[in-house]
Amino acid sequence: MAEVGQQHPIKVYFIVWGLLFVFSIASYMVDFYEFKEHLRWFLIVVFMMLKAGFIVAVFMHMKWERPTLITAILVPPLVLLVLMYLLAFEADYAWASRIVYFGGEVEPIPLSPPSHAAVPH
Amino acid sequence: MAEAAQTNQGPLTTIVDDWSSDVTTFKAVPWGKAMMWIFLLSDTFIFTSFLVSYMAVRMTQTDAWPYPSEVFSLEAFGTPVPLLLIAIMTFILITSSGTMAMAVNMGYRKRKVAVFWLMFATAMLGLSFVGMQAFEWTKLIGDEGVKAWQNPMGAPQFGSFFFMITGFHGLHVSAGVVYLLLVAIRVLRGKYDNTSFEIVEITGLYWHFVDLVWVFIFAFFYLW
Amino acid sequence: MATAEIPYQETVPLHHPKTWIGKYVFSQDHKVIAVQYGITAIAVGLVALFLSDLMRIQIAYPGFMEWFVEDYYYQAITMHGMIMVIYLLTAFLLGAFGNFTVPLMCGARDMVFPFVNMLSYWVYLISVIILLLGYIPGLGGPTGAGWTLYPPQTITEGTPGADWGIMTMLASLAVFIVAFTMGGLNYITTILQARTRGMSLMRLPLTVWGIFVATFLGLLAFPALFVSAIMMILDLRIGTSFFMPAIVSLGQTLAHDGGQPLLFQHLFWFFGHPEVYIVALPAFGVVSDLISVHARKNIFGYRLMVWALVFIGILSFIVWAHHMFVAGMHPYFGFFFATTTLIIAVPTAIKVYNWILTLWKANIKLTVPMLYALSFVLTFIMGGITGLFLGNVIIDIPLSDTYFVVAHFHMVMGVSPILAIFGGIYHWYPKLTGRMLNDTVGKWHFWITFLGTYIIYFPMHYLGFIGVPRRYYENFDSSFYPASAQTLNEIITWTALVVGVAQLLYIGNLVHSYFYGKPAGDNPWGANSLEWCTPDTPPSHGNWGDKLPTVHRWAYDYSVPGSDKDFIPQTVPQGQSS
Repeated sequence: MAEVGQQHPIKVYFIVWGLLFVFSIASYMVDFYEFKEHLRWFLIVVFMMLKAGFIVAVFMHMKWERPTLITAILVPPLVLLVLMYLLAFEADYAWASRIVYFGGEVEPIPLSPPSHAAVPH
Repeated sequence: MAEAAQTNQGPLTTIVDDWSSDVTTFKAVPWGKAMMWIFLLSDTFIFTSFLVSYMAVRMTQTDAWPYPSEVFSLEAFGTPVPLLLIAIMTFILITSSGTMAMAVNMGYRKRKVAVFWLMFATAMLGLSFVGMQAFEWTKLIGDEGVKAWQNPMGAPQFGSFFFMITGFHGLHVSAGVVYLLLVAIRVLRGKYDNTSFEIVEITGLYWHFVDLVWVFIFAFFYLW
Repeated sequence: MATAEIPYQETVPLHHPKTWIGKYVFSQDHKVIAVQYGITAIAVGLVALFLSDLMRIQIAYPGFMEWFVEDYYYQAITMHGMIMVIYLLTAFLLGAFGNFTVPLMCGARDMVFPFVNMLSYWVYLISVIILLLGYIPGLGGPTGAGWTLYPPQTITEGTPGADWGIMTMLASLAVFIVAFTMGGLNYITTILQARTRGMSLMRLPLTVWGIFVATFLGLLAFPALFVSAIMMILDLRIGTSFFMPAIVSLGQTLAHDGGQPLLFQHLFWFFGHPEVYIVALPAFGVVSDLISVHARKNIFGYRLMVWALVFIGILSFIVWAHHMFVAGMHPYFGFFFATTTLIIAVPTAIKVYNWILTLWKANIKLTVPMLYALSFVLTFIMGGITGLFLGNVIIDIPLSDTYFVVAHFHMVMGVSPILAIFGGIYHWYPKLTGRMLNDTVGKWHFWITFLGTYIIYFPMHYLGFIGVPRRYYENFDSSFYPASAQTLNEIITWTALVVGVAQLLYIGNLVHSYFYGKPAGDNPWGANSLEWCTPDTPPSHGNWGDKLPTVHRWAYDYSVPGSDKDFIPQTVPQGQSS
């Protein structure tokens, strides 16, 4: 095995270090100035991804690795997005069911039985 | 040789070449580093499962969810500043990541004493992070009355997830501190003199990962 | 590549044990660890087999065993399922076969981190002990919630072992996951980073490919189980409400509120479905190799076989909720998950066709391992076809929780991998010990097990169609199904008892042949892959003597026209034939 090291100018680390502080302050400001709803979530995710990206790319040296390692490590977590998306998708349904069936303030919607199931008792 | 092959080809060709080559798939990656990366991949799934569970429970919650920036505010100069402690903790963790990155860099220059002190500083910063977390926990339990099973401000799951996720992250930090100190002492004793000090980078990967997880916890738990 | 890469392990010395304990007990040699894994898995598997026979007696003759009360029955169900899936199949296929074959087939001296590998076994042993602690008298016995452990039922009063049994189960699972992670990281890193010269991934035998994909699935899927185990322990002991909704139990309102029980099912099956393939894929690999070797013909469509494994692995992460069609999840999910589930049939069918096409016009030797491999294919087709029924929502709903489901999953992921394990042991035993197993005993065991399997599980499909529910302690006098259903149950039970006892034949064969078996020589089956090219049989510590082998071809050069023998080992250079 040839040279295994990761040797890079220290300057890069200092720049990223500074950037991480900037992004942290920025996301903190999102909270401090009380952005609401979608703008807030959007900004939080943007700063989060920026921070995560810089940590992975520079501090963890992903930027300098061969694409083989990069893809092998970064592609598999995508299946988690499926889990996340589907659970979020279902959560609205579960929440609505709770309101409809257990919520005191909302009356359950009386459904008329479908015609083919209308069997006399 | 690996570097020579890399010069004139696109990333896709490199990927195909590497996967079809013999001996190693990840060229010029030591065993320990490959193993650490795969472990971190597995650990990513653990933390994501925690966070996704948190999402699912919070989204299906019919009780009120407390507003984290008020819950975690701290008195400073007479006025409550939202998320003050969390901000300090975040900065500490980022700083520790910086010192760790420097330690890795020094490792490859074989400057053992510098590596030791940088890793030691990283470990101390990690320790102070855990200490602040302990302070935050006591404050939350004592002053706000939030327990893992109850929450005077609304949904009890707020406390449950908070203690579970930050606790699990804190365990990772604590384990990282021990790991850092162990490697730092071994570096100083010259145990790795015959290697190219990739152990420092491997330790660094773990530590940066802990920082990375905190980025997500900070965004999803404290800011959302 | 201009210059050949030097395998790292040629540059480092190997750790050599000095004491007897270091050599055979706390050994870091992958072959010894494989045997330790294998023996422990078989031992705990026998416990599960015994439990299944107890359940069968109860089903056929309710009231015959008066001491076998309802709680014992549900505990037996749970322990049987969990032991078989996790502690026997996963541990055996990855722990034993993985440890034994991966370094040998890749041409490595050992796993990359032998010490971690050793820890993996001992932690696994601890997890087995914790699991069996559930049976300590006075603690209320192990959990009786069924192996899926669905809350809230699992941790509410009235379920057997809702207090301590579930704790031992969850703790044992968490410890097992730690053990698996340590082993799994080793297998993956060894396969990726420690192959010998000339061994590219596309020259690996399919056994290694199966183990590789399965281990990868395990590393990514077990975290979900780990997380749900932690959350359930917290629900139980601390009183959190992750999974526990507001609930009234035995007339009392519990303190829990607002949890999401469906979340557990999602997490569990996000682990659970890949787990099915963690068990199936190594079996696929082993069977592919057995069929090719014993049919003296190259595996048909090797590359397609590899890609099918990879594709099944990826798909297994997006089909999980087909286990939850009746769970009350989002109604739209049925469509999505039924579709992805049926798509999995494509790569699986590719594999089955390739096995059959490998056999086509082959020089089939009906050796005992070949019999097991062929029976695997048959059984797997059976189980796979019924999987198509259950994958469709509209057919699944009436069949849910009937014996049809029991028949399906026992065929596809119970019996099939077990048959592959039997075949694999039979195939590699000569390399492991230097002696052959007894063929006569092997054939008796094979026919009893194979035919018995069909007598046991074939009628269960029918029982399922007429609506006999599973997991019932006693099928009361019911006008729902005819009396003949009970007759069938009795036949099944008698067969299960015979098959259960017949497994002793195999174990006796393993023990007896170790001392008195016919000496095997280096390569009794005439196989190509690297493990048959070791300088010593059984392979010594470090496997390859002074120099690692060099690989020049794939593992499937059987019956090549023009060569003087019908197999060309992987170490023979291109252009030569022996």
